[in-house]
Amino acid sequence: MSVLAEVTGSLGSIGYGLAAIGPGIGVGIIFGQGVQAIARQPEAYGLIRQNMLLGFVLTEALALIGLVAPFMFGQ
Amino acid sequence: MPAMSEKKIRPEDDGRDFANAAWSIPSYLLSGMILYGGAGWLLSKWTGVVAFTPIGLILGVALAIYLVYRKYGR
Amino acid sequence: MSTLTLLAPGDEFTPPGLELFDTPPIIPGVDWFTKPVLLALLSTVIVVAFCWSAFANPKIVPRGVQNVAEVGYMFVRDQVARPFLGKDADRWMGLLLSIFFLVWVWNLMGVIPVVQFPVASHIAFPVVLALSIYVLKVYLGIKHQGAVGYFKNMMFPPGLPKPIYVLLAPIEFLSNLIIAPFTHAVRLFANMFAGHIILAFFSLVGFWFLFEKLTPLGAPLGVVGVIMTIAMTGFEMFIQFLQAFLFAMLAAMYIGNSLHAEH
Repeated sequence: MSVLAEVTGSLGSIGYGLAAIGPGIGVGIIFGQGVQAIARQPEAYGLIRQNMLLGFVLTEALALIGLVAPFMFGQ
Repeated sequence: MPAMSEKKIRPEDDGRDFANAAWSIPSYLLSGMILYGGAGWLLSKWTGVVAFTPIGLILGVALAIYLVYRKYGR
Repeated sequence: MSTLTLLAPGDEFTPPGLELFDTPPIIPGVDWFTKPVLLALLSTVIVVAFCWSAFANPKIVPRGVQNVAEVGYMFVRDQVARPFLGKDADRWMGLLLSIFFLVWVWNLMGVIPVVQFPVASHIAFPVVLALSIYVLKVYLGIKHQGAVGYFKNMMFPPGLPKPIYVLLAPIEFLSNLIIAPFTHAVRLFANMFAGHIILAFFSLVGFWFLFEKLTPLGAPLGVVGVIMTIAMTGFEMFIQFLQAFLFAMLAAMYIGNSLHAEH
């Protein structure tokens, strides 16, 4: 079987680039919706802030795991 | 620590809590990963079992998330 | 400029790499006096001259330079100092104003036409600033909360169940004392480094396909390169301002956290 296409070079950086798409969109949605919620109901600011930060930390965790995945899964 | 939503906040301190939280969250995640991931890596070099490194990393992430939850999410 | 002379003999487009940041000494004998050093000194002179001409003889009704400088002062005071330092803000305005203007002028050197080298893209410059803020932060924390109290307040925030402290105290310690200054410096460095490479890349695309090797197929690519250079320069100027603001804001946050313990 002959090779049709091949990716050479730094696979880790390509992997991280792809892995950063999801958390980037996720963080954008979290804070975008959070700001909208604050605009609609300013007196709920404390509650919204708590939930925003919780959502942010969970999403950011995925981005940082993507950063170390090349080292975790070996060469 | 009283829940963040009930505490009376002076106007000058209002931005502080959020800014503190927002900047320390990635910092906690990174340091949890480095600390427990590094410990896992050292352990795997010592025992030879390669699996300890990712276990340590995930443990560090989980602990950091728990720390953020207890500190900022209540 | 030196990259283009490197590129001229070749036949294929090679994107700029790390050689963008190799700066030879300006005066042949003096090894340490390179372009970034000259630009850093120039930035210092600019900031000092600006603030001196604005604030040396302040009038009640500001005119000219004082007017502009007062806008900058109010921005730093209301957005950077007061949210984090509260009542002590006026004491620290000198430091924060200097940091903000200095870092902003450093960054602006990256888009000024003949100069075109952001000083912060050499890691030494942000590291020195971040390190001095770090030393100040630890010193103030120990002075205001006592040596034991500072680390206790930092590593053991109240309100968590006891067994968790064993696992979480090292994370807090590492995060506050090692990750924080590191990210403080690297954030500024990485942004300026990447921005410089982006600008150089698109300018080189434009120049190569429009002047060096003008071909009918390559000319539109060159035009795209020129358009992208203009767009990225605008974006880069915004990022430069933002990074200067962030650097000063984080400095104020670290100092504020040391002065009043986090509750």
